[in-house]
Amino acid sequence: MWLYTFKRMLQGVLTVWFIASATFFAMHNVPGDPLLNDRAMTPAVRANLEAKYGLDQPLSTQYFIYLRNLARGDLGISFTQENREVNDIIREHFPVSAILGILAILFAAAGGILWGALTAIFRNRWPDYAIMFLVILGISVPSFVVAALSQLALVNINALAGTTVLPVAGWGTLLHMLVPAMVLGLGTMAYLTRLMRSSMLEIISSDFVRTAKAKGLPPARIFAKHQFRNAILPVVTVLGPAIAAITTGGFVVELVFAIPGLGRFFVEAVQQLDYTVIMGTTVFYGAFLVFMVIVVDVLYGFIDPRVRLE
Amino acid sequence: MTQLATETVLDPQTSPPLLEVENLAVEFDTYGGTVQAVRGVNFTVEQGKTLAIVGESGCGKSVTVQSMMGLIPMPPGRITSGSARLRGIEVLGRNAIAGKEIRGAEIGMIFQDPMTSLNPTMTIGDQIAEPLQGHRGYSYRRAFNAAIELLDLSKIPEAARRARQYPFEFSGGMLQRAMIAMAIACKPSILIADEPTTALDVTIQAQILDLLRDLQTETGMAIILITHDLGVVARMANEVAVMYAGKIVEHGSVDDIFYRSAHPYTLGLRAAMPTNDPSLKHELTPIEGSPPDLFAPPPGCGYCPRCPHAMQVCDSRDADDYYLEARHFSRCWLHHDAASLKPDELYFRNSD
Amino acid sequence: MVNFTAADFTALTTQREVQGISRPALSYWQDAWIRLKANKRALVSLYLVIGLLLFTIAGPWVWRVNPAAQDLDQIGQPPGTDRAGRIVDDIQPWFGDEAAGVTSVRVSGDATTQAVRLQWSALPGANGHRVYRNMFALGQERAYGIPIAEIFDNSTLYFVDRLDLKPRHYYYFVVALGPQGELLDSFESIEVDVQRVTTVDEAIEQGLGEVADGLQVGDRVNMTWHPLGTDYLGRDMLARLMAGARVSLLIGIGAPFLFVLFGVIYGSMAGFVGGRTDQLMMRFADFVIALPFLLFMILFKIAFGIGPGESGVFPLLVALVVLMWPATARLVRGQVLQIREQAYISASQLLGAKTNYLIIRHMIPNTLGVVLVTVTFAIPSAIFTEAFLSFIGMGVAPPTPSWGSMSNEGIKTMLTTPHELIFPAALISITVLAFNLLGDGLRDALDARMRNTE
Repeated sequence: MWLYTFKRMLQGVLTVWFIASATFFAMHNVPGDPLLNDRAMTPAVRANLEAKYGLDQPLSTQYFIYLRNLARGDLGISFTQENREVNDIIREHFPVSAILGILAILFAAAGGILWGALTAIFRNRWPDYAIMFLVILGISVPSFVVAALSQLALVNINALAGTTVLPVAGWGTLLHMLVPAMVLGLGTMAYLTRLMRSSMLEIISSDFVRTAKAKGLPPARIFAKHQFRNAILPVVTVLGPAIAAITTGGFVVELVFAIPGLGRFFVEAVQQLDYTVIMGTTVFYGAFLVFMVIVVDVLYGFIDPRVRLE
Repeated sequence: MTQLATETVLDPQTSPPLLEVENLAVEFDTYGGTVQAVRGVNFTVEQGKTLAIVGESGCGKSVTVQSMMGLIPMPPGRITSGSARLRGIEVLGRNAIAGKEIRGAEIGMIFQDPMTSLNPTMTIGDQIAEPLQGHRGYSYRRAFNAAIELLDLSKIPEAARRARQYPFEFSGGMLQRAMIAMAIACKPSILIADEPTTALDVTIQAQILDLLRDLQTETGMAIILITHDLGVVARMANEVAVMYAGKIVEHGSVDDIFYRSAHPYTLGLRAAMPTNDPSLKHELTPIEGSPPDLFAPPPGCGYCPRCPHAMQVCDSRDADDYYLEARHFSRCWLHHDAASLKPDELYFRNSD
Repeated sequence: MVNFTAADFTALTTQREVQGISRPALSYWQDAWIRLKANKRALVSLYLVIGLLLFTIAGPWVWRVNPAAQDLDQIGQPPGTDRAGRIVDDIQPWFGDEAAGVTSVRVSGDATTQAVRLQWSALPGANGHRVYRNMFALGQERAYGIPIAEIFDNSTLYFVDRLDLKPRHYYYFVVALGPQGELLDSFESIEVDVQRVTTVDEAIEQGLGEVADGLQVGDRVNMTWHPLGTDYLGRDMLARLMAGARVSLLIGIGAPFLFVLFGVIYGSMAGFVGGRTDQLMMRFADFVIALPFLLFMILFKIAFGIGPGESGVFPLLVALVVLMWPATARLVRGQVLQIREQAYISASQLLGAKTNYLIIRHMIPNTLGVVLVTVTFAIPSAIFTEAFLSFIGMGVAPPTPSWGSMSNEGIKTMLTTPHELIFPAALISITVLAFNLLGDGLRDALDARMRNTE
């Protein structure tokens, strides 16, 4: 089990290196002078920056400087926000995005498993139809539309109630997080519902469930230990990429709900061509995702013995 | 085909049968229409004896036993008639008799493919312990220890270590042994084995069948063995029921079926069996054609189109069960008094 | 008991054909097509997809309107057929009617989409006035609406409203201001019904008539018909949606085809060759999969850069292809590995089949099912991604329309002109939905193992 985890972590480091390199080379293809922007820069400052990042050196040297800095955890200083280290920016804004993302994933996973199991149990009866209809809506309406519409709905609800039932934008309390997290997790929840449904249906008609019934076990036990436990496997497998999708898709929700998360800052950095922030955020996100995927894989090893004993 | 040491002729009944199935009929609603899978089946199972149900794929053997166990999902499936009585008490549609549950406790069942018939995420020991916990109220510890003993009984080496392993760590033969251990955990009076050896090698086959036999001797349970392999029948069965197109076409002792076949289909099955006798040099004779479409079953005998001795009446009406001896019947018009054709290969009453 | 005759027991000579085949043999694809047709949801979505393709390809031929043309007199027009208008002179400056005298707030002349001229007399206690305009009557909360003018003395008691006038009811409020410019309690209101008008020049521009035909001031004309309304720049929504469809579907269908093609080649090579090469190839593919998708889409976007005048469609396409081919490659490789182990391949080889034959006759047809389903599901994913990116301004560049950028613009005026959001968003949803359901249907029809067990 631990060998498995160790191997995965090693792979993870390699992957992060690849991501960092890809980011580096992509950014170096951006046309224009990285230091050229609105602020006037004294020659001394400019020279310092050039020295620090080796901007006057050949590409390979710059690459090595970049990797060396990365290994030390130094992501550099923002080009547009003076004297702000990228690390600080991340430190300040990432927790917001992380909380939003975690809430969204919890919402998506819990909902997806619940609805999926329900549709399989009540197959072809009205709960099945109702849930599947909502699921189909969930996978086809774009998230930004849902975000905008839900804001509109919130405004109306608040107006009707005469008071602020739920805040329409901003960040701070749990109430602020609820609706954005739900909006963010909606698409993934729909997807997980379908996955859980087909998995459950397949398991319900499988041979070992037939054996469990032949043993005369109580239905609750058959459901819990035989059906549910095996049906969840594909859903957990998919959780890794699902986390990736949610974290990177978060910035639209952050934009619409005015949440000060890392995604929003990333978009702003892109619009302002703040190179260090762009690169640093990308590598950070990449590393984070790789880490999450490993966590999920290890978790999967706990549930499915076939994986860890190979 | 193994030779039996002594011939066995069944006595007329001295004790009531353990299980009596009468006129069982099962239908299924499918998107293509209604399939009449079982069309009126009668058989009995004696205490401590083995009944083999033989037939081609699709003849209804599995559906018959599964409907007795309540394993057929009843929305698409439907029992349209018949009864199944265990020790005189009706079993169809009920979950328990006199406090003892039918599934798992009174009747145990093992299935064809052990690789897919066990939960991949639970240890073998846990899965064997489950029925003991559920039906006997054992604590987990007690049940698990009993599971180890059962694995031992099923001749699995290192039972204690094996009980903690998962199905994917077992071979096919060992898994089937584990399944057997699981099925007999609560000491059922009947064990149903649905093609238990079809997915296994021949050598493992023999071991499993021997195990079943030994267990039967020790526990005195009856066995219903479903198979399409006449070799297995010869080795294991006391009585045999031959099924075709949803009906039992011949029923008798194992000797009756092999030496005194009274139905053309039974003859066809025997002729299609390969033999290891080097002196015999004839070709395998398969039965031409395929079983009838059970969406629209024929009004007459299902075997008619493939039968070399078919008569006019066979096409339009199905025969009754004609008794040649007390426990040997054949469902064939050839045994009617008015039938003049009496093919040599078939056994008739008052022949020899 | 029925009576039998001796004839009943004579041998049966006429026999039904036992070896007959009861139904005609179906090829794999015929069988799949029948299954697909039987699936009503998939069939409906197939028609939807065909309809969408027709809309995109043939639409601009039928509805020949330039999507960039601006109809300045019908800005933000909701969908409908109401387009009656009148021709008026070009606007002249106005400084109030002398002859009006002391009056409560009144409209001078006609209230038209060209201008609404308001005039009033000084309110009691006022040191100035502020003019509001509202679409709704005054409610309990006394929300006057949008402030459109502020005058800090009493010498100017008139105002010409030219702000974004639509042919509808408006409520104007003239509120008195105190010495510090603060709002006082006294106000006057007037309800105005604005008429749609246009000028001669604009009418000629829109092709509504010619001077030679006698077009003159006072004529009643029907303005250009915009069945789905116009956007905030007066551009015809239907034409824009069609143009946007071309962009969105070009990317949405083109990218998947390309990256699936590449993925198939890569994956089948890897699966076929096997061994170390396979491992290496898959390792590389895994790396690309690990890249955070949206982040890198954006990175590629800015890396390629968009020059002025370029639409940005091509970089988007390339970025999508580069980031999405590995997933398909993995899938195809898995399929190839699975097929390679099948008995019919060995049987074929035993019969003397060469590698080329095996690939063409066995591998490819058996992977086609998986590939087709993958493409069908990749399309909505690509459309979503494009819409998503365009929404945050990282997709196609304006003025090139795409459903995503149109939605972005529509959200800004969601409350006043909802149609600008509803139409592109609905089209995105319907397209995504149709392809998803079609993909479901194809999967159910083509592969029993992949079936959703409905």
